[in-house]
Amino acid sequence: MKEIVVIIGGGIAGLEAASQLLKLGYSPIIIEKEDHLGGKVANWHKLFPDMTPAKDIVDELIASSKDSNIFLNTEISFINRLQDSYNIKLSNGISIMTKYILCTTGFRLFEAEKKEEYGYGIYNQVITNGDLEHWFNTGKDERIENSSMQAIGFVHCVGSRDEKARNSQCSKVCCITAIKQAIELKEKFPDAQIYCFYMDLRLFGKKFEDFYIKAQKDYGIHFIRGRVSEVSENIEGKVIVKAEDTLAGKPIKVTLDLLVLMSGMVCNPDTHKMAGMMALQVDSDGFLKSHDNVFHITSSTKKGIFYAGACTGPKTVPETLAEARSAVLDIHSQIISGQ
Amino acid sequence: MREIYLSGYSNFIIPFMIGMIFVLSWCIIGAIRVIMELSAEDRKKFFLSLLNPKIMAKNIKDWFCDCLFHVKLWKRNKLLGYMHSSIAFGWFMIIVIGHIEVFLYTPERIHQVWYPIFFRYFVAVTENTMKGSFFFFLMDFFLLVILSGIILAITKRIRSRLFGMRRTTRPSLTDTIGLYALWSIFPLRLLAEGFTADISGGSFLTKSLNDVLHFFFSDQMNMLPTWWAYSMALCVFMCVLPFSRYMHIPAEILLIPMRNAGIPIRHSRKGISRLQVYSCPSCGVCIDACPMSAVKANTRDTTVYLNRQIKRYNERRIEEISDKCLLCGKCTAVCPVGVQGDRLRIAQRSIRKYNISQDYSNIDTNSLKNQLNNFVTTENDFVSDIHNQKVLYFAGCMTSLTPTIMKSMTSLLKKAGVNYGIMDKDGGICCGRPMLMAGRIDQAMELVAKNTEIIKESGADILLLSCPICYKIFKEKYALEGIEILHHTEYIDRLIKEGRLKVRKSEKSYVYHDPCELGRGCGIYDQPRNVVSSAGELVEAEKNGKESICCGGSLGSLTLSFDKRKALTENALKNLTIASPDEVITACPLCRSTFNRYSQTPVRDIAELIDSNTEIN
Repeated sequence: MKEIVVIIGGGIAGLEAASQLLKLGYSPIIIEKEDHLGGKVANWHKLFPDMTPAKDIVDELIASSKDSNIFLNTEISFINRLQDSYNIKLSNGISIMTKYILCTTGFRLFEAEKKEEYGYGIYNQVITNGDLEHWFNTGKDERIENSSMQAIGFVHCVGSRDEKARNSQCSKVCCITAIKQAIELKEKFPDAQIYCFYMDLRLFGKKFEDFYIKAQKDYGIHFIRGRVSEVSENIEGKVIVKAEDTLAGKPIKVTLDLLVLMSGMVCNPDTHKMAGMMALQVDSDGFLKSHDNVFHITSSTKKGIFYAGACTGPKTVPETLAEARSAVLDIHSQIISGQ
Repeated sequence: MREIYLSGYSNFIIPFMIGMIFVLSWCIIGAIRVIMELSAEDRKKFFLSLLNPKIMAKNIKDWFCDCLFHVKLWKRNKLLGYMHSSIAFGWFMIIVIGHIEVFLYTPERIHQVWYPIFFRYFVAVTENTMKGSFFFFLMDFFLLVILSGIILAITKRIRSRLFGMRRTTRPSLTDTIGLYALWSIFPLRLLAEGFTADISGGSFLTKSLNDVLHFFFSDQMNMLPTWWAYSMALCVFMCVLPFSRYMHIPAEILLIPMRNAGIPIRHSRKGISRLQVYSCPSCGVCIDACPMSAVKANTRDTTVYLNRQIKRYNERRIEEISDKCLLCGKCTAVCPVGVQGDRLRIAQRSIRKYNISQDYSNIDTNSLKNQLNNFVTTENDFVSDIHNQKVLYFAGCMTSLTPTIMKSMTSLLKKAGVNYGIMDKDGGICCGRPMLMAGRIDQAMELVAKNTEIIKESGADILLLSCPICYKIFKEKYALEGIEILHHTEYIDRLIKEGRLKVRKSEKSYVYHDPCELGRGCGIYDQPRNVVSSAGELVEAEKNGKESICCGGSLGSLTLSFDKRKALTENALKNLTIASPDEVITACPLCRSTFNRYSQTPVRDIAELIDSNTEIN
């Protein structure tokens, strides 16, 4: 009999893990609460730093994992722990017995309206990075269509590295995402002046630094070091941003047609619900706690439960895919040693 | 009454006299010291207040109500009130009646201070005793009252929860000695008088005790040792008094007239500060009141411990306690003797030395003044401003960080047809309150001067504020003659009453949170409640008004980190939502954003609520 592995979450980590498990001859079951696979990446337009279309990646992953059992629009009602296996009851009435669970529950974007001083949900011309990708994909957003688009701003670190927002962790990918989105906007609106307000630029990945230099040299994007203090609106409906240029040591004020807030990655609340059912440990940053942070990132402290992707912390797409493969290998070696 | 001893003296009075002379000289020197430490202006004000019959009448009333009857404690807790007033008033009456007895029976002894205290030892009953039986009865009655208080005090020490106190103070060593001495004084007095009652006469208590004692002890050999013990107990109590919490008894007598004279705290340790510290009875009412007590470790940073550390000159702890406080002022509001915990802490902060001091003198006010030239008048057919007053709206930094409030407020001003201008639309100058809270008074006053200049230039009739933190300093430290200073809760209330805002009443229930700076800080409790009631059903929190609990976000604390504030906010929310309201309404941008971080119930500012419930005229 083929060993069953239950994968919770059908994002890119879940799909990649399923396709690898299929190759190894196991029978993966994907449980996804949404009506589509691909998770957050499916809503994205292009991926840094090569501008790969996100759709290509997602389509390829779906194709390679299509032989697994997939339950869409399905949530977990409860999980019972038996002696050496788990009984999972789904919202569609099906129950599954398995010895191996892989959590790929991913993340959620920080709710930008909680940082009220940036005016999301209050001023019309303030959007988030998620809204912008949605516009790139669909081309539908009144806020962008009805504006002259002469000046655009990006605010980095919205709800990340921010104790007041209850998230002190760095969301890792937003610096490079902002650069990517700034370049994409500049391509759409070549006459627009684009400003990025940052506190640090953390460009750790391959080609990231080149991408940043390119944004400055080839696209003329302005990078201003200093956090935005407050945002207001003028009579014409434009947003006025007040910030401090900490390199120049001067306060600055700019009037913008659009302000994009780089909402950070925070832990998915559904993950907490699931962690409660299986008595999994949650770390101080709200993400799931790995067995340790060096050697066993994909293992939990519970036997038979594994992690991959952004459920343990903010990650890039390649990191997530690598973790999915690594988790599959861990599961595989445990199955072999168990027999 | 007949005297037994010609000399009117016995050796056992020596301990009492030592204690008496010691405590009296200590208190007189202390009082002179405190008065000398006041600034010349304050001292003059204090002495003049003693000549003012109105203030003097209040002093006398307060001496009786606070020192003897403990009215404030009665209001708070009947058992605690009885316990304190029975001991204080009973003791006072025993001293008074003792003197009356001496005056009536042995007037030539009145100059011997010990005579009224040990009267029963020195006299014997005669045929005409019946004339004194009224006083005998009173003496025994008040002794019984005191003893009942002592029994309650002992019970409280063992089980403080019976008295509704969750937490009580940990007594220091001298407090404990004083406490045991105090507990033993009156039982010893009863025993001593019990032994002499057959000679000196007595009433229902002492006389009956005397009968009982005669069953066990045939002779009167036991008489002298018990009088000695009584005198020793008094001596111990009086000698330990200046070093224990019982110092509050004499200190409060001086604090009351100083308080009524309106002498402010000007120095961190001297003058009125010293007096307040010594007036602290260590009752621990501030421990349960303090919002920080939601976390048990913080109970050691409440006002009662600040006073204790100041007495001990423990500078490290004084700094720690002063900096941690949220300055919500609740300890001041509940304190039965009137120790101003918040102001005392600001005074401690003001002596801190900083390496860098801000200089605001180069801030250019001209560019800010120029913004104010145009007041916007909204043409409105339905409402017209009969007074045609110019309203200058100062949003302040906290409101700028919560733009919804500002948006709602300007929308309301438009709806009501108000002639208004915004003072800090393009950035303004800080009101100065945060600097004042940090104890940096000179810097704060520099900011006050800058803003005063701008406001006076604007020609406004009303200065409107959304932030209670700003509101408090504008009310207290700004000299803006001819300009009415209003918080938006007051102004909205006025607009509704004048019929310029028509509010639709919804089915929802709202609880109103009193922000510290607006409620306790400025005494605004009714106007916001009127406003909320006009928009829906008003429900109350478990603790509200003067006893409202700080949201935990206060600017007052210099050292509490965000994670440490979480428990305080959750505790405040639990108190607020006791009646399960549909929404929490507050009137402070800082409270609103703090609550929003953790609240399950939606939290809105009063301006948002009214704006959403007002028809466009």
